[in-house]
Amino acid sequence: MVRRSGRGAAPDSVVRVVARMLPAPSVMVAAALIVKGYAEVGDGFAAGVIVALAVSLTYVAVGADGAEAVLPVLRHAPKIAVTGLLLALASGFFPLVYGEEPVSHQPAPGEPLTKFGKLELFTQLLMDIGVFLLVVGVLVMLLHQFGRLRGEEKS
Amino acid sequence: MLLSIALLLPWVAGAVLLIANGRNRAVAWLAVSTLVATLVVLAFLAAEVYGNGNVRVVTGHWPEGIGIVLEADPLGVTFALLSVLVVTAAAAYESVGGVRTRTFPGLVVILAAGLNGLFVTADIFSFYVFFELAMTASYALSAYGGKRRQLRAALVFTAVNLLGSFIFVFSVAGAYRVTGTLAMEQIAERMLEVNPNAVLLIATGFFIAFSVKLGLFPFHFWLPTVYAGARPSVAAILSGAVANIGAYGLLRFGAGLFPQQLEQAGLALIILGAVSILYGGVLAVSRGDVAEMLAYSAIGQVGYVLVALGVAGPVGLVTAVLYSVVNSLNKALLFLASGVRGALVAGAFAIGSLSVAGVPPAAGFVGKLELFRTGILADSTALIVLLVAGSALSLVYMFQVYQRCFWRADPAKAKASPLPQRLIAAGLAVLVLAGALWPEPLLALSGQAVESLTSSSPGAS
Repeated sequence: MVRRSGRGAAPDSVVRVVARMLPAPSVMVAAALIVKGYAEVGDGFAAGVIVALAVSLTYVAVGADGAEAVLPVLRHAPKIAVTGLLLALASGFFPLVYGEEPVSHQPAPGEPLTKFGKLELFTQLLMDIGVFLLVVGVLVMLLHQFGRLRGEEKS
Repeated sequence: MLLSIALLLPWVAGAVLLIANGRNRAVAWLAVSTLVATLVVLAFLAAEVYGNGNVRVVTGHWPEGIGIVLEADPLGVTFALLSVLVVTAAAAYESVGGVRTRTFPGLVVILAAGLNGLFVTADIFSFYVFFELAMTASYALSAYGGKRRQLRAALVFTAVNLLGSFIFVFSVAGAYRVTGTLAMEQIAERMLEVNPNAVLLIATGFFIAFSVKLGLFPFHFWLPTVYAGARPSVAAILSGAVANIGAYGLLRFGAGLFPQQLEQAGLALIILGAVSILYGGVLAVSRGDVAEMLAYSAIGQVGYVLVALGVAGPVGLVTAVLYSVVNSLNKALLFLASGVRGALVAGAFAIGSLSVAGVPPAAGFVGKLELFRTGILADSTALIVLLVAGSALSLVYMFQVYQRCFWRADPAKAKASPLPQRLIAAGLAVLVLAGALWPEPLLALSGQAVESLTSSSPGAS
């Protein structure tokens, strides 16, 4: 792990440990929020913000290089964001293929749902997952840029 | 279907192009061809709208008022076509010269998606969403070039326009608070029963937000730094496409949602427009730099749109539409021409200059003619004197710069730019000429656009 040097002392070891532990549970909370959505409070956007918050603590604790060494998937943030956007757009505009209006979802309101445990399967879920990926991707891209700014200042 | 494709195509392509490396020529040309394809789709959509009436889509099988309504009417498709045309020209221009950053092609296409969306939506909140999509892309675009000048331009542009967007979304919230709906049609109906003071406040908020976009006199302060600092292609996009949001917004919200407030504020609008014309004109005369002169000229030119809007009535509105269209073409032509050198360019610049001044063989003449007609109908000598003075000023500043740029033998600048770049400028010049030689379609389009606007608002006579 890369230690942050330069201005000020390195963050407290508690912060570093928490930062390291937090991303995994945050993904679980995000998944719960997406599953919960519609009937209760929760959606892809909120879920995305929660994961991004956990990741941002990692950036604070170990710096941009450190965070991306611990979680290499962060390097693919632009691709994640674009995949999310395309997924959301696809779920919105796919109904055009069979002549329906955009953002029509299956099954329609009032029709019976397929359930998988607590998870209700409908096409809105794809849009929410898309929004989730988009939010996480864009926020991580911003964190990466801010982290790099500090790095440039040092050198 | 066409309407959805016009949105979907640039949106998806833009998203994909954002992760591709834009410095690659193939990527840049892919962006241009996407824009051309969007333009073709929009042309078909426009033909349908002008031939068979409005195209309407309500998302997701919801009843109207719950589902988002997208409605392409003549006013919307005219502005969409115009803006995407300008963006396409600027993107092609930049692709010929070689794109300098990774993100430019993707951003330009995303900008086109945002513009398309906001010109065809009939719901004020989704208008805001598309508006932000377009603005976010243009914030990033204004930094294109990456030099100190461009970064300064980007900072000023972003700071001021974020404030404008804030005022806009605040007014959207206000409109929702007093009417309980976000659909434009319902807002226009319900506004008639709302406390007039609240309506006036909301209308003023919208007016300020769009004036900031357009760079009208008291809200113009950001404009010279930005237009002069940005690269020519970006300046063309900002003044020829993004500024259309302001003109369209003033027409759609002013004449469509708040016709009574527009009538009440008529005199104030005319005065603001007049100040814009004189301020822009006088300062443009004093500038030596082409881009800076064009920036001040832009402030003056939008003043005419506001004057026409202030006179209102069918003639005033038709003039406002017509003048916005002509002005946006002029600005795109002049900014693009100011960045290149060589044969054809001086001619193109001269045509643009004539058009700004409103001298016959260019489309600006038709615009000025309609303005004079508006002035005579409004029965105001002061207005006509103002129009003459404004035109004279523009003739002076345009040809002053024309002389300095193109008549002086300057061997350092004599290196000609690539032919396709010059051809794009020349193509726009031909379009401006065609608008004057055969003005009937332009007049008919503007007429129909205004008809669609006023017929949908219940408060208008």
